[in-house]
Amino acid sequence: MIELNNVTKRYDSLTAVDDVSFSVKTGECFALLGPNGAGKTTIVKMLLDFIRPSSGGLSISGIPSTHAECRQSIGYLAENHHIPQSLSGWQYLLRCAELLDINRSEALDQCRRIVELIGMQGRENTKVGTYSKGMVQRFGLGAALMGNPKLLILDEPTSGLDPIGIREIRQLLDSLKDQGMTIFLNSHLLSEVEKICDTAAIINRGKLLVKDSISAIVKDGETLEDVFVRLVKG
Amino acid sequence: METSKALPPITRITKYTLIDEVQQRSFVVMFVICALCVFLIRGCYQGNYIVNGQALDAGTIVRTLSKATFHVIGAVVMVITALLSMRIFRRDRNEGMQACILSKPIARWQYVMGKILGLWALSTLFMFILHSIVFLITSINLKVFMPGYLVASILCSINLLFVIIAVLLLSLLMSDIIAFLSVLGVGVAGFVADGIAAASHSQIAQAIVQQSSGHPPSDMTWWKVVYVLWPKLLGVQQLASSLIESESNHGFGPIYPLINVLIYCLILGALLFKRFRNEDIV
Repeated sequence: MIELNNVTKRYDSLTAVDDVSFSVKTGECFALLGPNGAGKTTIVKMLLDFIRPSSGGLSISGIPSTHAECRQSIGYLAENHHIPQSLSGWQYLLRCAELLDINRSEALDQCRRIVELIGMQGRENTKVGTYSKGMVQRFGLGAALMGNPKLLILDEPTSGLDPIGIREIRQLLDSLKDQGMTIFLNSHLLSEVEKICDTAAIINRGKLLVKDSISAIVKDGETLEDVFVRLVKG
Repeated sequence: METSKALPPITRITKYTLIDEVQQRSFVVMFVICALCVFLIRGCYQGNYIVNGQALDAGTIVRTLSKATFHVIGAVVMVITALLSMRIFRRDRNEGMQACILSKPIARWQYVMGKILGLWALSTLFMFILHSIVFLITSINLKVFMPGYLVASILCSINLLFVIIAVLLLSLLMSDIIAFLSVLGVGVAGFVADGIAAASHSQIAQAIVQQSSGHPPSDMTWWKVVYVLWPKLLGVQQLASSLIESESNHGFGPIYPLINVLIYCLILGALLFKRFRNEDIV
């Protein structure tokens, strides 16, 4: 589903991503882990063609990430998601549906279903300006689920959510995984990743340290957090 | 990409741009102030004007004032269009709409095209409404019917397209306010240069130049080349205003400003698409 081949991204003298290669299979729930500034968001942005790699190539479903068609079946939730203040959550979801070329009646059906899924019934028609950060994040996740994408790219999806919200998102991701959706998760919450994901990659200072199944990365008597700290601290 | 598939995203982004701008309080305030100012011009039509000791007839007053108003509206809407354009990418970026749109199967050129068309449609409509107010005042109150006025308004929208593309391009290269001021500077320099050129063609000016230098001025100097190649925004307005009274135009000369501005739109548009293609979406 996702292929990264010797991807490098340089900003002047800084190498944000250094010769990274890995792949994510269809139906896999994959976590990209790393400390702040490790290059995780840079990789996500290169996958979406928001930034171009200095060298190497990325592809989704065999289509180079530079082609708009590869984003046909991708749902994306940005870290610190923003929604225009002048819109309501409902209007935002409807806009996302229109941008995916979903017809009006189908878009309305999907919006209703998603509002229920993200637990925002009764608040969907108020302006985004009145929402908390967690509520904006929920609508962002809802927008990512619009059009039943095959691949979900989530950059810190639980950012701004309270513990109950985090648990609800985990349950939602579990159900999406069961439906066969490929999930690319960028998260700091290692305990959540350990519960949800099948495979993970850990990067530090732009370099890929490990990429394997969670069960292979986490040895007996260790937690993912222990492995993460051990690898990152060298 | 096939045209039939490429168009729907562009029209949707155009629609969102229009809706988002109209919902901005600053836009509504600017529109109301401009409309009120145009309404206030009504009083000027009723005045008695004397030139060289002779009172002007009502028809001449209406035509002269309407033409002057036409130019003022054109210039003011250009400034407002530059103000609207300068913040469009930044606002989309800050509100998350740029990332939202470009994470969908929408190419960057479609996004930029949608933004340009949305702003162009909005500013053209803005200017058309203001010109229509003048048209209605002269047609209903003063019984002077000038159908060319509205056609001229639409022709003038070419200037707005130039302003939008130039400001959008510069806003990717520098801060928004500097981009706005730079395009404003290009416009003002063009207006001043056209004024100087018009004055230099007068017999008095030519006589002064000839007397001071002792020989006739050379036909082709570097500043003349710059002047000819400079964006002819005032030229387009003058060409458009010539339609108000169906003034006859002969040859290539009168339409040169239109070609000049259209070529600038094409060149700056190509640079804008190229620059945005390599822009990091943050």
